[in-house]
Amino acid sequence: MKIFYQTYGTAKKKFSHFLNRFFKKKRTRIGIYGPPNAGKTTLANRIARDWTGDAVGPVSEIPHETRRARKKEDIIISGANGSTITMDIVDTPGVTTKIDYHEFLEYGMEKDEAIIRAREATEGVAEAMHWLREDIDGVIYMLDSTLDPFMQVNIMMIGIIESRKLPVIIVANKIDLPDAIPARIRSAFPQHPVVAISGLDGRNVESLYETMLEFFG
Amino acid sequence: MPHKCTKCGREYKDGSTEILKGCASCGGKKFLYVKEKELNKDVLEEKSIDEIIKESPEEILELSVPKSKQEVQMYDRVETIRIVAPGTYELNIEKMAESDERIVGVGKEGSYIVDLMSMAKDQPKKKKGKRK
Repeated sequence: MKIFYQTYGTAKKKFSHFLNRFFKKKRTRIGIYGPPNAGKTTLANRIARDWTGDAVGPVSEIPHETRRARKKEDIIISGANGSTITMDIVDTPGVTTKIDYHEFLEYGMEKDEAIIRAREATEGVAEAMHWLREDIDGVIYMLDSTLDPFMQVNIMMIGIIESRKLPVIIVANKIDLPDAIPARIRSAFPQHPVVAISGLDGRNVESLYETMLEFFG
Repeated sequence: MPHKCTKCGREYKDGSTEILKGCASCGGKKFLYVKEKELNKDVLEEKSIDEIIKESPEEILELSVPKSKQEVQMYDRVETIRIVAPGTYELNIEKMAESDERIVGVGKEGSYIVDLMSMAKDQPKKKKGKRK
Protein backbone atom coordinates (compact mmCIF):
# COMPACT_ATOMS: atom_id res chain seq x y z
CA MET A 1 0.00 0.00 0.00
CA LYS A 2 2.85 2.29 0.93
CA ILE A 3 4.52 1.61 -2.37
CA PHE A 4 1.25 2.35 -4.14
CA TYR A 5 0.99 5.77 -2.48
CA GLN A 6 4.60 6.50 -3.27
CA THR A 7 4.14 5.66 -6.95
CA TYR A 8 0.84 7.54 -6.98
CA GLY A 9 2.56 10.57 -5.43
CA THR A 10 5.36 10.57 -8.00
CA ALA A 11 2.92 10.10 -10.84
CA LYS A 12 0.78 12.97 -9.58
CA LYS A 13 3.83 15.19 -9.29
CA LYS A 14 4.95 14.30 -12.78
CA PHE A 15 1.50 14.87 -14.18
CA SER A 16 1.08 18.27 -12.56
CA HIS A 17 4.56 19.20 -13.74
CA PHE A 18 3.54 18.19 -17.24
CA LEU A 19 0.33 20.22 -17.00
CA ASN A 20 2.25 23.18 -15.65
CA ARG A 21 4.68 23.09 -18.48
CA PHE A 22 1.91 22.65 -20.97
CA PHE A 23 -0.09 25.61 -19.74
CA LYS A 24 2.91 27.82 -19.06
CA LYS A 25 4.01 27.33 -22.65
CA LYS A 26 0.73 28.76 -23.84
CA ARG A 27 1.72 32.09 -22.44
CA THR A 28 4.10 33.42 -25.00
CA ARG A 29 7.02 35.46 -23.80
CA ILE A 30 7.87 38.22 -26.24
CA GLY A 31 11.15 40.10 -25.98
CA ILE A 32 11.44 43.62 -27.34
CA TYR A 33 14.98 43.92 -28.65
CA GLY A 34 16.91 46.51 -30.61
CA PRO A 35 19.71 49.06 -30.44
CA PRO A 36 19.65 51.80 -27.78
CA ASN A 37 17.17 54.63 -28.34
CA ALA A 38 15.04 52.73 -30.86
CA GLY A 39 11.94 53.21 -28.68
CA LYS A 40 11.66 49.80 -27.04
CA THR A 41 10.35 51.08 -23.71
CA THR A 42 8.00 53.52 -25.44
CA LEU A 43 6.45 50.58 -27.32
CA ALA A 44 6.39 48.38 -24.20
CA ASN A 45 4.60 51.18 -22.34
CA ARG A 46 2.12 51.59 -25.18
CA ILE A 47 1.33 47.87 -25.31
CA ALA A 48 0.95 47.76 -21.53
CA ARG A 49 -1.20 50.90 -21.47
CA ASP A 50 -3.40 49.77 -24.37
CA TRP A 51 -4.14 46.35 -22.88
CA THR A 52 -3.67 46.62 -19.13
CA GLY A 53 -3.76 50.35 -18.39
CA ASP A 54 -0.32 50.12 -16.82
CA ALA A 55 3.21 51.23 -17.72
CA VAL A 56 6.50 49.35 -17.91
CA GLY A 57 9.26 51.86 -17.30
CA PRO A 58 10.61 55.37 -17.77
CA VAL A 59 11.86 56.61 -21.15
CA SER A 60 14.55 59.15 -21.95
CA GLU A 61 16.42 60.60 -24.92
CA ILE A 62 19.72 59.58 -23.35
CA PRO A 63 20.68 56.12 -24.64
CA HIS A 64 20.63 53.16 -22.25
CA GLU A 65 17.78 54.43 -20.08
CA THR A 66 16.64 50.82 -19.64
CA ARG A 67 19.50 48.95 -18.05
CA ARG A 68 17.60 46.05 -16.55
CA ALA A 69 15.11 43.89 -18.42
CA ARG A 70 11.56 44.67 -17.32
CA LYS A 71 8.71 42.25 -17.62
CA LYS A 72 5.00 42.86 -17.88
CA GLU A 73 3.06 39.64 -17.45
CA ASP A 74 -0.29 38.40 -18.69
CA ILE A 75 -1.03 40.95 -21.38
CA ILE A 76 -4.01 39.76 -23.37
CA ILE A 77 -4.14 41.11 -26.90
CA SER A 78 -7.22 40.55 -29.00
CA GLY A 79 -7.59 41.04 -32.71
CA ALA A 80 -10.35 42.23 -35.01
CA ASN A 81 -11.44 38.66 -35.75
CA GLY A 82 -11.78 37.83 -32.04
CA SER A 83 -8.61 35.81 -31.66
CA THR A 84 -6.61 36.46 -28.50
CA ILE A 85 -3.11 35.82 -27.26
CA THR A 86 -1.78 35.99 -23.70
CA MET A 87 1.78 37.15 -23.51
CA ASP A 88 4.50 38.43 -21.25
CA ILE A 89 6.29 41.41 -22.66
CA VAL A 90 9.97 41.74 -21.80
CA ASP A 91 11.43 45.17 -22.38
CA THR A 92 15.19 44.69 -22.72
CA PRO A 93 18.16 47.04 -22.52
CA GLY A 94 19.47 48.24 -25.88
CA VAL A 95 21.95 45.84 -27.41
CA THR A 96 25.12 47.38 -28.77
CA THR A 97 28.74 46.36 -29.26
CA LYS A 98 30.31 49.46 -27.77
CA ILE A 99 29.42 51.48 -24.71
CA ASP A 100 31.40 54.62 -23.93
CA TYR A 101 30.53 56.92 -21.05
CA HIS A 102 31.72 59.95 -23.07
CA GLU A 103 28.49 59.60 -25.07
CA PHE A 104 26.45 60.37 -21.95
CA LEU A 105 28.52 63.43 -21.09
CA GLU A 106 27.08 65.14 -24.18
CA TYR A 107 23.69 65.04 -22.48
CA GLY A 108 25.08 67.02 -19.58
CA MET A 109 25.63 64.07 -17.28
CA GLU A 110 28.36 64.15 -14.64
CA LYS A 111 31.39 61.95 -15.29
CA ASP A 112 30.85 59.66 -12.29
CA GLU A 113 27.20 59.18 -13.12
CA ALA A 114 28.05 58.50 -16.78
CA ILE A 115 30.62 55.84 -15.85
CA ILE A 116 28.09 54.08 -13.62
CA ARG A 117 25.50 54.27 -16.42
CA ALA A 118 27.99 52.70 -18.85
CA ARG A 119 28.70 49.88 -16.43
CA GLU A 120 25.02 49.21 -15.81
CA ALA A 121 24.33 49.34 -19.55
CA THR A 122 27.02 46.70 -20.11
CA GLU A 123 25.39 44.46 -17.52
CA GLY A 124 22.08 45.21 -19.22
CA VAL A 125 23.28 43.92 -22.59
CA ALA A 126 24.48 40.73 -20.92
CA GLU A 127 21.07 40.36 -19.26
CA ALA A 128 19.22 40.95 -22.53
CA MET A 129 21.30 38.25 -24.21
CA HIS A 130 20.66 35.90 -21.29
CA TRP A 131 16.89 36.33 -21.72
CA LEU A 132 17.15 35.74 -25.44
CA ARG A 133 18.86 32.44 -24.81
CA GLU A 134 16.78 31.17 -21.93
CA ASP A 135 13.32 32.54 -21.83
CA ILE A 136 12.02 34.16 -25.01
CA ASP A 137 9.49 32.64 -27.42
CA GLY A 138 9.29 35.48 -29.92
CA VAL A 139 11.05 38.74 -30.69
CA ILE A 140 9.94 42.22 -31.64
CA TYR A 141 13.04 43.84 -33.11
CA MET A 142 12.80 47.63 -32.91
CA LEU A 143 14.60 49.92 -35.30
CA ASP A 144 14.67 53.68 -35.64
CA SER A 145 13.46 54.38 -39.21
CA THR A 146 15.44 57.60 -39.37
CA LEU A 147 18.70 55.64 -39.10
CA ASP A 148 20.56 53.25 -41.39
CA PRO A 149 19.35 49.72 -40.57
CA PHE A 150 22.54 48.12 -41.92
CA MET A 151 24.43 48.47 -38.67
CA GLN A 152 26.61 45.56 -37.73
CA VAL A 153 24.76 45.01 -34.46
CA ASN A 154 21.38 44.69 -36.23
CA ILE A 155 22.63 42.19 -38.78
CA MET A 156 24.30 40.24 -35.97
CA MET A 157 21.22 40.25 -33.72
CA ILE A 158 18.81 39.22 -36.48
CA GLY A 159 21.28 36.43 -37.32
CA ILE A 160 21.34 35.27 -33.69
CA ILE A 161 17.51 35.39 -33.46
CA GLU A 162 17.21 33.44 -36.72
CA SER A 163 19.70 30.82 -35.54
CA ARG A 164 17.55 30.31 -32.44
CA LYS A 165 14.57 29.83 -34.76
CA LEU A 166 12.52 32.43 -32.90
CA PRO A 167 9.67 34.17 -34.72
CA VAL A 168 10.55 37.82 -35.25
CA ILE A 169 8.60 40.94 -36.20
CA ILE A 170 10.68 43.94 -37.19
CA VAL A 171 9.22 47.26 -36.13
CA ALA A 172 10.23 50.37 -38.06
CA ASN A 173 9.63 52.94 -35.34
CA LYS A 174 9.50 56.74 -35.23
CA ILE A 175 7.49 57.20 -38.45
CA ASP A 176 6.17 60.44 -36.91
CA LEU A 177 9.57 62.01 -37.68
CA PRO A 178 9.94 63.73 -41.08
CA ASP A 179 13.16 61.94 -42.09
CA ALA A 180 11.86 58.44 -41.33
CA ILE A 181 12.38 55.95 -44.16
CA PRO A 182 10.65 52.69 -43.12
CA ALA A 183 11.07 51.33 -46.68
CA ARG A 184 14.82 51.16 -46.08
CA ILE A 185 14.20 48.74 -43.19
CA ARG A 186 11.81 46.71 -45.34
CA SER A 187 14.43 46.26 -48.03
CA ALA A 188 17.09 45.43 -45.43
CA PHE A 189 15.13 42.53 -43.93
CA PRO A 190 12.86 41.16 -46.65
CA GLN A 191 12.73 37.74 -44.96
CA HIS A 192 10.76 39.07 -41.96
CA PRO A 193 7.50 40.96 -41.47
CA VAL A 194 8.15 44.68 -41.04
CA VAL A 195 5.57 46.96 -39.43
CA ALA A 196 6.05 50.73 -39.54
CA ILE A 197 4.70 52.48 -36.44
CA SER A 198 5.11 55.45 -34.17
CA GLY A 199 5.39 54.25 -30.61
CA LEU A 200 5.15 57.86 -29.51
CA ASP A 201 1.82 58.88 -31.08
CA GLY A 202 0.48 55.36 -31.59
CA ARG A 203 0.26 55.53 -35.37
CA ASN A 204 -0.30 52.09 -36.94
CA VAL A 205 0.15 50.12 -33.68
CA GLU A 206 -3.13 48.34 -34.46
CA SER A 207 -1.50 46.67 -37.44
CA LEU A 208 1.40 45.66 -35.18
CA TYR A 209 -1.07 43.95 -32.81
CA GLU A 210 -2.61 42.09 -35.76
CA THR A 211 0.84 41.00 -36.93
CA MET A 212 1.68 39.86 -33.38
CA LEU A 213 -1.49 37.74 -33.27
CA GLU A 214 -0.56 36.23 -36.59
CA PHE A 215 3.08 35.45 -35.84
CA PHE A 216 3.15 34.81 -32.09
CA GLY A 217 -0.31 33.30 -31.63
CA MET B 1 61.80 50.25 -60.25
CA PRO B 2 58.43 48.50 -60.37
CA HIS B 3 57.00 45.93 -57.98
CA LYS B 4 55.74 42.53 -58.94
CA CYS B 5 53.27 40.44 -57.01
CA THR B 6 54.97 37.16 -56.17
CA LYS B 7 51.67 35.29 -56.25
CA CYS B 8 50.12 36.22 -59.59
CA GLY B 9 52.83 38.29 -61.27
CA ARG B 10 50.85 41.51 -61.61
CA GLU B 11 53.07 44.57 -61.89
CA TYR B 12 52.76 47.84 -60.09
CA LYS B 13 54.53 51.12 -60.71
CA ASP B 14 57.29 52.21 -58.40
CA GLY B 15 55.90 54.01 -55.38
CA SER B 16 52.41 52.73 -56.08
CA THR B 17 50.18 53.11 -53.05
CA GLU B 18 47.88 50.41 -54.40
CA ILE B 19 50.09 47.62 -53.14
CA LEU B 20 49.68 48.81 -49.57
CA LYS B 21 46.26 47.19 -49.62
CA GLY B 22 47.63 43.97 -51.11
CA CYS B 23 47.55 42.88 -54.75
CA ALA B 24 44.37 44.06 -56.49
CA SER B 25 44.15 40.83 -58.49
CA CYS B 26 44.91 38.09 -56.02
CA GLY B 27 45.18 39.82 -52.64
CA GLY B 28 48.81 38.72 -52.32
CA LYS B 29 50.87 40.54 -49.77
CA LYS B 30 54.39 39.78 -50.99
CA PHE B 31 56.00 41.89 -53.67
CA LEU B 32 59.35 41.81 -55.41
CA TYR B 33 61.36 44.74 -56.77
CA VAL B 34 62.03 44.12 -60.45
CA LYS B 35 64.29 46.14 -62.75
CA GLU B 36 62.48 47.99 -65.52
CA LYS B 37 64.23 46.07 -68.27
CA GLU B 38 63.61 42.76 -66.59
CA LEU B 39 59.93 43.50 -66.07
CA ASN B 40 58.71 41.11 -68.75
CA LYS B 41 61.34 38.49 -68.13
CA ASP B 42 58.77 35.99 -66.95
CA VAL B 43 56.90 36.11 -70.24
CA LEU B 44 59.85 36.52 -72.60
CA GLU B 45 62.03 33.85 -71.05
CA GLU B 46 59.12 31.70 -69.86
CA LYS B 47 60.26 31.78 -66.29
CA SER B 48 58.00 31.24 -63.35
CA ILE B 49 57.76 33.88 -60.66
CA ASP B 50 59.49 31.53 -58.25
CA GLU B 51 62.50 31.32 -60.54
CA ILE B 52 62.65 35.10 -60.85
CA ILE B 53 62.52 35.41 -57.09
CA LYS B 54 65.46 33.02 -56.77
CA GLU B 55 67.48 34.93 -59.36
CA SER B 56 66.68 38.36 -58.06
CA PRO B 57 69.13 39.87 -55.61
CA GLU B 58 66.28 41.92 -54.10
CA GLU B 59 64.47 40.98 -50.95
CA ILE B 60 60.77 40.32 -50.98
CA LEU B 61 58.68 43.13 -49.60
CA GLU B 62 55.98 41.82 -47.32
CA LEU B 63 53.02 43.88 -46.19
CA SER B 64 51.95 43.74 -42.59
CA VAL B 65 48.22 43.74 -41.96
CA PRO B 66 47.19 47.03 -40.34
CA LYS B 67 46.37 46.73 -36.65
CA SER B 68 43.01 48.45 -36.85
CA LYS B 69 41.79 45.74 -39.23
CA GLN B 70 42.68 43.02 -36.77
CA GLU B 71 40.79 44.73 -33.96
CA VAL B 72 37.49 44.61 -35.87
CA GLN B 73 37.50 40.83 -35.79
CA MET B 74 35.30 40.43 -32.71
CA TYR B 75 34.33 36.89 -33.67
CA ASP B 76 37.76 35.48 -33.04
CA ARG B 77 37.95 37.04 -29.64
CA VAL B 78 37.86 34.99 -26.51
CA GLU B 79 36.34 37.62 -24.22
CA THR B 80 32.67 38.54 -23.87
CA ILE B 81 33.35 42.02 -22.49
CA ARG B 82 36.44 44.14 -22.96
CA ILE B 83 37.02 46.98 -20.57
CA VAL B 84 38.88 49.48 -22.76
CA ALA B 85 38.95 52.06 -19.96
CA PRO B 86 36.72 52.67 -16.94
CA GLY B 87 33.28 53.41 -18.41
CA THR B 88 34.22 52.29 -21.93
CA TYR B 89 33.30 48.79 -22.94
CA GLU B 90 33.33 46.63 -26.05
CA LEU B 91 30.74 43.88 -26.01
CA ASN B 92 30.91 40.64 -27.94
CA ILE B 93 27.20 39.96 -28.30
CA GLU B 94 27.76 36.78 -30.29
CA LYS B 95 29.68 35.29 -27.36
CA MET B 96 26.96 36.54 -25.01
CA ALA B 97 24.30 34.81 -27.10
CA GLU B 98 26.11 31.49 -26.78
CA SER B 99 26.34 31.23 -23.01
CA ASP B 100 26.45 33.04 -19.71
CA GLU B 101 30.15 32.42 -19.36
CA ARG B 102 32.02 35.62 -18.88
CA ILE B 103 35.58 36.29 -19.86
CA VAL B 104 36.46 39.92 -19.37
CA GLY B 105 39.35 41.48 -21.26
CA VAL B 106 41.11 44.35 -19.57
CA GLY B 107 42.91 47.14 -21.43
CA LYS B 108 44.97 46.06 -24.41
CA GLU B 109 44.95 42.59 -25.92
CA GLY B 110 46.33 39.80 -23.79
CA SER B 111 44.94 40.56 -20.33
CA TYR B 112 41.84 38.74 -19.11
CA ILE B 113 39.69 38.12 -16.09
CA VAL B 114 37.88 34.80 -16.12
CA ASP B 115 34.67 34.59 -14.12
CA LEU B 116 34.71 31.01 -12.87
CA MET B 117 31.35 31.38 -11.13
CA SER B 118 29.60 32.10 -14.42
CA MET B 119 31.05 28.92 -15.87
CA ALA B 120 30.15 26.71 -12.91
CA LYS B 121 26.44 27.54 -13.01
CA ASP B 122 24.03 24.70 -13.59
CA GLN B 123 22.17 26.03 -16.60
CA PRO B 124 19.30 23.52 -17.08
CA LYS B 125 18.18 23.70 -13.43
CA LYS B 126 18.20 27.47 -13.54
CA LYS B 127 15.90 27.39 -16.52
CA LYS B 128 13.33 25.31 -14.68
CA GLY B 129 13.40 27.68 -11.75
CA LYS B 130 12.87 30.69 -13.95
CA ARG B 131 9.72 29.32 -15.52
CA LYS B 132 7.77 29.41 -12.25
